[in-house]
Amino acid sequence: MLAFDTATSLVSCCLWRDGDVLAERRSAEPRAAQRVLALVEELLAESGVRRDEIDTVGVGTGPGSFTGLRIGIATARGLALGLGVPLGGTGTLDALLAGCAGATAVIDARRGEVFVAGPGREPGVITPAGLAAVLRPGEVLVGDGAVRHREAFAGASIAPDLSPLHAPSAAAIAERAGQLQPVDAVYLRRPDAEPVA
Amino acid sequence: MILAIETSCDDTCAAVVGHDAVVRSSVRSSQDALHATFGGVVPEVASRRHLELAVPVVERALDDAGVALAQIDRVAVTQGPGLIGALLVGVATAKAIAVARQLPLVPVDHLYGHVAALRLAPLRLPAPFACLLVSGGHSLLIDVERYDRLSVLGGTLDDAAGEAFDKGARLLGLPFPGGPQLESLGEGGDPRRFPFPEVLRDRPLELSFSGVKTSLLYRIRDLGDAAEDARADLAASFQAAVVSQLASRARALLAETGRDVLAVVGGVAANGRLREQLGAVCAASGARLALLPASLCVDNAAMIAAAALDREGVTGRELAELDAFARSPLSAR
Ligand SMILES: [Zn+2]
Repeated sequence: MLAFDTATSLVSCCLWRDGDVLAERRSAEPRAAQRVLALVEELLAESGVRRDEIDTVGVGTGPGSFTGLRIGIATARGLALGLGVPLGGTGTLDALLAGCAGATAVIDARRGEVFVAGPGREPGVITPAGLAAVLRPGEVLVGDGAVRHREAFAGASIAPDLSPLHAPSAAAIAERAGQLQPVDAVYLRRPDAEPVA
Repeated sequence: MILAIETSCDDTCAAVVGHDAVVRSSVRSSQDALHATFGGVVPEVASRRHLELAVPVVERALDDAGVALAQIDRVAVTQGPGLIGALLVGVATAKAIAVARQLPLVPVDHLYGHVAALRLAPLRLPAPFACLLVSGGHSLLIDVERYDRLSVLGGTLDDAAGEAFDKGARLLGLPFPGGPQLESLGEGGDPRRFPFPEVLRDRPLELSFSGVKTSLLYRIRDLGDAAEDARADLAASFQAAVVSQLASRARALLAETGRDVLAVVGGVAANGRLREQLGAVCAASGARLALLPASLCVDNAAMIAAAALDREGVTGRELAELDAFARSPLSAR
């Protein structure tokens, strides 16, 4: 199985077989989403897996950067079409939570807001200050939103910027890809446009 | 066989074209109805729609052509210019198909694509020729020495021709996209009733439509309640002003380049009055007018495949890292 998530600024990607990660890559470089296929090629080269051995593609379905999210899903759908294999989606908040049990996932939503989900928290959009006001003492936050707004979450526990905990777990996406959950983009926010009368 | 994808603006397009330049299929899923509810193209709305339509449109193009993905030996995609979020959906889809099938990918400049539509069968127009590219996003006067060597000799200082039509239509209360509706409204109207000022008389290769649009606004305001009854005449007069400006620029382009063929491409090339006027310009200049069916004038993917006809494309790392661009080096003058 091949799985990746490009919805946040930390792109992750892995090849997975029967519960084992064969090879894994993460990238926090600018335009990492645009380069996700380069990571895929590296994984194939490193693991010796042939592309016709890939039998399922898994992808993170957001929320996150609208552009990154779309690149991930378009790439996954194109690969599935080209390889003739099925496709399964996992929410990016879930993929973050899977990588760090008990934590709260915080994804940068731009415009001074974050997407958040975790134990006892329904997925939603909130300002960092709004989230900070309801944090439990010592709550563990993961995700690019936690990193970007680190100073707003003074009472929380946040791993160093480049910790793998902040990247959605590609292994978790691979693990669930076999269930073939629908790949519908989760934007959690409407486009800035008003219908005309 | 080439598979091409085009998502630079608001239409999701895919096509299959043979190496013999014969179009096997060309699918265009228009988002017009969707954007009409917003009164124009909203980039985020368009990008979301492209994502949902990209793979179904590709599958439909293969189906229509009666071709299996295994018979495709090259993939082509619009790399830019256009709405960056929209372009990225097409680019990501095309890259992934190329990586999965281990095919080369040809990144195409949308503007070269519009011109390359003229290479397709049955027209197969040989270069060199002079070309007028007029669409909702672009108005360019081009000397086509070869299909891979275009020189832009002039363009618009403000709006594109198609944009001018859409804005004029909106002033007349027509829904988006207004160009074609403005043409039908003006059909019974008198194009001479409201003369519009001539623009840029001393710059024969430049276009400008903002003055014409403002004049229309003032005409409508001055007419007050009478504007309602004069709508057909206003539409006809406004269209005549835009078309005559394009025709005079086409005449200057032929003179400047010395070419004996004038081609016209882009969505506005479907306009009947424009075709008529350009026919007259060519007759007077001793040139031949080359026209395409409307389906190849508007944004489509067959033209993107046409631009990939004799290009090898990129593979490996270059393919995997390919990115879209919002602005064309060609229109940056
Ligand atoms: Zn176009």
